[in-house]
Amino acid sequence: MTPLPLAPIVLTPLVVLALATVLTWVERRLLGLWQDRYGPNRVGPGGMFQAVADGIKLLFKQDWVPPFADRGVFVLAPAIGMMTVLLSFAVIPLAAGGIAGGLNVGLLFILAMMGLGVYAVVLAGWASDSKYALLGGMRAAAQMISYEVFMALSLLGVVMVAGSFSLRDIVAAQSGLWFIIPQGLGFVVFLLAGIAETHRLPFDLPEGENELGAGFHTEYSGMKFGMFFIAEYAGIVLVSALATTLYLGGGNGLLLPAPVWFALKTGVIVAFFILLRAGLPRPRYDQLMGLGWKVLLPLSLLNVLATGTVMMLRAS
Amino acid sequence: MVLSASPITGLDQPGMMATQSTRDGVRTLWVTVDDLRPTLSTLKEHTPALLMLFDLTAIDERERTHRDGQPPADFTVIYHLMSLATRADEVRIKVALLGDRPTLPTISDLWPNANWYEREIWDLFGIRFENHPFLRRILTPPTWTDHPLRKDHYARATEMPPYSLTEEQERHEQDAMRFDPSAWGMQRHSDHSDFMFLNLGPNHPSVHGVFRIILQLEGERIVDAVPDIGFHHRGAEKMGERQSWHTYIPYTDRVDYLGGVMNNFPYVMAVETLAGITPPPRAQMIRVMLAELFRIASHLVFYGTMAQDVGQLSPVFYMFTDRERVFGIIEAICGFRMHPAWFRIGGVAMDLPTGWEDLIRAFVNDLPRRLDEYDAMVMRNPVFRGRTKGVGAYTTAEAVEWGVTGPGLRATGLPWDYRRQAPYACYEQLEFDIPTGANGDCYDRIAVHVEEIRQSLRIIRQCLDHMPAGPIKADHPLTTPPPRARTLHDIETLIHHFLGAAWGPVIPPGEARSCVEATKGLNCYTLVSDGGTTSYRTRIRTPSFAHLQMIPLLGRGVMIADLIAILGSIDFVMADVDR
Amino acid sequence: MYVLPLLSGGLTLVGAMMVVTCPVAVHAVLYLVVTLLSLAMVLAMLGAQFAAALEIIIYAGAIMVLFVFVIMMLNLGQPDRDREKEWLRPRAWIGPGLLAVVACGELLYGLPTLSDPDGAVFPIDARDVGLSLFGTYVLMVELASFLLLAGLVTAFHIGRTLRERP
Repeated sequence: MTPLPLAPIVLTPLVVLALATVLTWVERRLLGLWQDRYGPNRVGPGGMFQAVADGIKLLFKQDWVPPFADRGVFVLAPAIGMMTVLLSFAVIPLAAGGIAGGLNVGLLFILAMMGLGVYAVVLAGWASDSKYALLGGMRAAAQMISYEVFMALSLLGVVMVAGSFSLRDIVAAQSGLWFIIPQGLGFVVFLLAGIAETHRLPFDLPEGENELGAGFHTEYSGMKFGMFFIAEYAGIVLVSALATTLYLGGGNGLLLPAPVWFALKTGVIVAFFILLRAGLPRPRYDQLMGLGWKVLLPLSLLNVLATGTVMMLRAS
Repeated sequence: MVLSASPITGLDQPGMMATQSTRDGVRTLWVTVDDLRPTLSTLKEHTPALLMLFDLTAIDERERTHRDGQPPADFTVIYHLMSLATRADEVRIKVALLGDRPTLPTISDLWPNANWYEREIWDLFGIRFENHPFLRRILTPPTWTDHPLRKDHYARATEMPPYSLTEEQERHEQDAMRFDPSAWGMQRHSDHSDFMFLNLGPNHPSVHGVFRIILQLEGERIVDAVPDIGFHHRGAEKMGERQSWHTYIPYTDRVDYLGGVMNNFPYVMAVETLAGITPPPRAQMIRVMLAELFRIASHLVFYGTMAQDVGQLSPVFYMFTDRERVFGIIEAICGFRMHPAWFRIGGVAMDLPTGWEDLIRAFVNDLPRRLDEYDAMVMRNPVFRGRTKGVGAYTTAEAVEWGVTGPGLRATGLPWDYRRQAPYACYEQLEFDIPTGANGDCYDRIAVHVEEIRQSLRIIRQCLDHMPAGPIKADHPLTTPPPRARTLHDIETLIHHFLGAAWGPVIPPGEARSCVEATKGLNCYTLVSDGGTTSYRTRIRTPSFAHLQMIPLLGRGVMIADLIAILGSIDFVMADVDR
Repeated sequence: MYVLPLLSGGLTLVGAMMVVTCPVAVHAVLYLVVTLLSLAMVLAMLGAQFAAALEIIIYAGAIMVLFVFVIMMLNLGQPDRDREKEWLRPRAWIGPGLLAVVACGELLYGLPTLSDPDGAVFPIDARDVGLSLFGTYVLMVELASFLLLAGLVTAFHIGRTLRERP
């Protein structure tokens, strides 16, 4: 048995949590910039400590469980959300290789964790015993299960080209050409599915604040809400890091060291996520499902077919 | 008045008890209770143009002294009909009722929008409508015991013993809040599924105020929607009966709180009609200019919140920034931003400040460019179009049946604008187009709003270029307050000022209504003066009230997200609904 | 080092017991998820990492979510919980329980003869799974896909008629 890589196990969650916290501030500043307003700018230099202040506020809020809620599941739900995202980071091959960057089913592991992440939202919706939360939970179940399908199918192209599920091998396979070039279609489908999986605007139907108040986390407050909140941002980092790993060559790049490249690419995708939130309205539930099953599914299947054809032609 | 030339025909029939002349020149006819329904249905059948039940209200006549030539009545119910022909034509049918708790037949089968108006009359006057499908209180809480607009109902809290809540009362109030679907005419389950009841509001981000819609859901699809209003009711009409003609002006501001002077406008015009004042041209044009500025401000809020309602976060910030600039101008002119209360009986409060032209010119030159940007961002956005096209559509006929006016009516393709059809103030001298839609869906309503912003800019530019010189207040003893220079000059005017400030102006007895094309539709004030310093009856007919009533029609069969888009596109303000 | 496999195995068993005994449907489903997850751990430690990942993705991540989804739609209340409790009385479960114990005994008795002589773990990756699925067992795969297609068509059909009923 190999010794456990203790340092990464301890460091990764901390770094991810810190990143997600900073990201809440970055998002608000960027949104402010794009919406002709300031955003948080009072706490610390440029409002940097706003996220910390918010965190402290959430920590000291009364830890309240509605009397009508299913207590156990209500508390469990945000923890599931947090855990699945953090566990996913275990296989992202950061500079040091991560905790298990070489896991030979790494990509499947991430998909598995994303699949389990659905429970956080669905169970939160159910356990709250509130109608708005229930509607949010039902939307989440349908949306996230559907988009997992398209995400997995879009990733199939990458796996076929790289010939491995291991993220480290996939990065290595991109030393010549980033997969965004041959797998452009897959990249688009992956990004769309990624937004849906992290239920971010424009695909934030499980929350849908204009329709459902706050959707699945209507009844949550304090640190339990904080966990959903941070998990959402960690999810954005995860999807962005995954896109970087799978399509943008991971840490590959000229001159600068690998971690810097990795962070830069991830940052660009995160900013893109925020830009989408600033710019787009939210489609209706059936429109979202229609987009998935009528557009993304055929596209991702086409991508798999085309990739396979090219590979066979090359081989023969 | 030449009856034959008017679009409303079928009035020359038996059953007419008397005709009454009013200060506003609207034909007013009295019928008996028995003749009411035949008269109205003949009218509806015989009028070639679209006939709208514009307003339906009542007067408590028991304390009124100046009723010359009118049939004896304890209560009068007024059916105000308007034909949407090329020139607006109106007729008032009045029914005299005797007794303390009178009843009369409902007409909610003739005009569906009579439903809420009749409920309102029942709620506020205690007049019963027989065969009404759902006669329950609408503006006051279900536990209210009296009818507030009756003359014997108190108007101030000081006329009441101190309020206390006993345990018994508390239980009673709590019980009244318990939700029972059957009380709202809804089933708990169908053949194969249980329904879910969702309380959308009174506190919900997308109901734009305190407004509750009870949704009967099957999954996310709405089986039935029942709006519940009255949370914002402040008794604005009752207040009109105890404030002087002059001091009531600030109250009107707060009715459609996004419309600002759009509320002062019909009120002061109605008072001026009663008093026989004609404001000078400069005052007229200043009024029009400010009204159009407020139209822009209100439409910008509508535009931004509409985008927000379908989940687009950014536009609302840009549009509120533009609205801030409008408010900057309004503040420079009036000293106030949202509720300037700046119109006066006989004119406006002050002359325009030095340099107003530059402020407005900079704004009207800049906004069109920004509107083009918003078009690209919102109106041409495929997701936005997907959410709004084909959603919440109604036809012109339906719009008229339900009393829809304003952009909601024009979106169905009918180019009907009160500013054009019955020009008031100086609109006759101004050039503007009437934007229309084609399908009457959410998208068309928004498109009409956006185009109206451009047309308002056009009107403002004309006001800017052609602002007449001259006084800003009419030379009339009832102008309140009188022109300042003359107040300081001669004793006659000083006495008028003194009386106007101490008691309020005494407006001659009579009835008058005045309508404006407000931001959301037709805003109409009907005033009854009994020759005193306060109004005998102030009736505020607001567009939002009529528009909200359509929600069940539009909401059935759509999804929750569609309903939110519909609510946004209706463009209502709860204070305007509940008054 | 048998601690991890035993722990996972134990979790699987406890989870399975809780699935049966929980009166609240969602709790039972959650325990079923735990069971599936620990089963996946057992599979992974036996070298079938691919199968383990698929088990989580498909069973725990998709099918069980649909279970929760359905339960959410059903609007179960206290009467349903009471009915569940009714079913958990000894006379309801003692018979099947005895039979299960017998079956477990048989399994334990037979296990030693089935175990691999050298006990080494051979990792099976996606390639091996794919080759055997589309080589040796291709007929089975095709038959299974027929079955799924039939199921899909049926579900679609049922859904349609229900929607159109006035």
